[in-house]
Amino acid sequence: MITLRGVSHSFGGVHALAGIDLDVDEHEFVAVIGRSGCGKSTLLRLVAGLLTPSEGRVEVAGDPVVKPRRDVSFMFQRPALLPWRTVLSNVLLPIEVFGLSPRAYRDRAHELLGLVGLGGFEQRLPHELSGGMQQRVSLCRSLIQSPRVMLMDEPFSALDAITRTELSEELQRVQLELPRAVVFVTHSVDEAVLLADRIVVLSPRPGRIHELADVGLPRPRALGQVELDQVSRELRGLLGEVTA
Amino acid sequence: MKVVLPVLGLLALIGAWWLATIVFGVDSFLVPSPADVVASFLELPGYLLEQTLVTLWEAVAGFGLSIMIGVPLALLIVGSTVLERMFYPLLVALNAVPKVAIAPIVVVWFGFGIESKVLMVVLVCIFPIVISTASGMKSTPHELVELFRSLDAPRRHEFFKLRLRHALPQVFVGLKVAITLAVIGAVIGEFVGARAGLGYVIYTSGASADTSLAFAAMALLAVISVALFYGLGYVEKKVLPYA
Repeated sequence: MITLRGVSHSFGGVHALAGIDLDVDEHEFVAVIGRSGCGKSTLLRLVAGLLTPSEGRVEVAGDPVVKPRRDVSFMFQRPALLPWRTVLSNVLLPIEVFGLSPRAYRDRAHELLGLVGLGGFEQRLPHELSGGMQQRVSLCRSLIQSPRVMLMDEPFSALDAITRTELSEELQRVQLELPRAVVFVTHSVDEAVLLADRIVVLSPRPGRIHELADVGLPRPRALGQVELDQVSRELRGLLGEVTA
Repeated sequence: MKVVLPVLGLLALIGAWWLATIVFGVDSFLVPSPADVVASFLELPGYLLEQTLVTLWEAVAGFGLSIMIGVPLALLIVGSTVLERMFYPLLVALNAVPKVAIAPIVVVWFGFGIESKVLMVVLVCIFPIVISTASGMKSTPHELVELFRSLDAPRRHEFFKLRLRHALPQVFVGLKVAITLAVIGAVIGEFVGARAGLGYVIYTSGASADTSLAFAAMALLAVISVALFYGLGYVEKKVLPYA
């Protein structure tokens, strides 16, 4: 679904990424971990078509990415909800921007909100919701695009630990129900191990793929499982090499 | 309480004014007492209300025109760096010119009628409207702009559904500044050359040393300004209930 070949990117002489080769399958969940400033977000923005690579090519579903696509959704670190819109009309924003009829997607929006436990909150305004609930709305807004690819840029990093765990388990459930290609950038090794089929460890300056690890544990997984902790420890070892 | 306190404030001011005129025995043609002012209003109520409507209409028309010109201007400035670099300094320069200095020229160009007054109003109102709208639009959070980009939203969506909507609270700040200036702009125009309006009344009553008539006209100006300002506040509450 996603193909990166020899992708490099630099901002005004600063090399953010160098020689990235990566393939992500149709239903595959790939997590990207690495220290801050290792080009994780740049990688996502290249796949999203928000940035154009300095070198190499980026393809989604066989087509070179030249601009953002409707079947690729992007979820940000912060919920990025429009404060003047209700939960429902925030979820329907992509539909509106695509020039489709929001009315035709209302039921779908209700369904998605129900899926993440926000049934009954459709008419609330974002500021009436907790941070975790806001990020759930943002997840629904991504899903309403029926994306073939979901790009997630540390979507849970601004949340408290408990909400964070809840949301990662929820995302696992959503991915089991509605599988698709996901690239998930995170600082948290545990989160990566819980969710991902494969984990990309990036080394910083310029960002290179240091290691591509298969998780290969059965689902559903739960945080705190012994097997998960083992994989996490190995990954922390790898990250330690990167830091050194 | 919302009504009582402002009324108390007003009564205190009028009381102090009245007391001062009595205690210091000021001549009524220098500082008339509140009673003189009311009496002079009651002599010509129809005429004064007519002049009030003239000034009110000039201010409102100019204010409306300023919104119609100022908001699109702000959109252009935010939308194009080239236009911003070209015209922003000019706008600042235009605002720096004392409006009193332009007024005679405006009257020469547009005559003694309403047109020159409306133009004066536009000249004083447009700056705060453009500045507040443009800076409000520019302060749109980056992640929201990036969200629209990631949806490949057309530029007009980014501007109208996001930036302008985000700017609304700040637009209202600019509008509130502008609406009080609007009345001032209209009066400046009327001072320089007019046949009607409260500014014209003040100007002519000054010439005939009818101070209490001038005070009555000033009180009516104050009433217009306050009414417009709070009217706008009411509209703001309707448009932005949660702000």
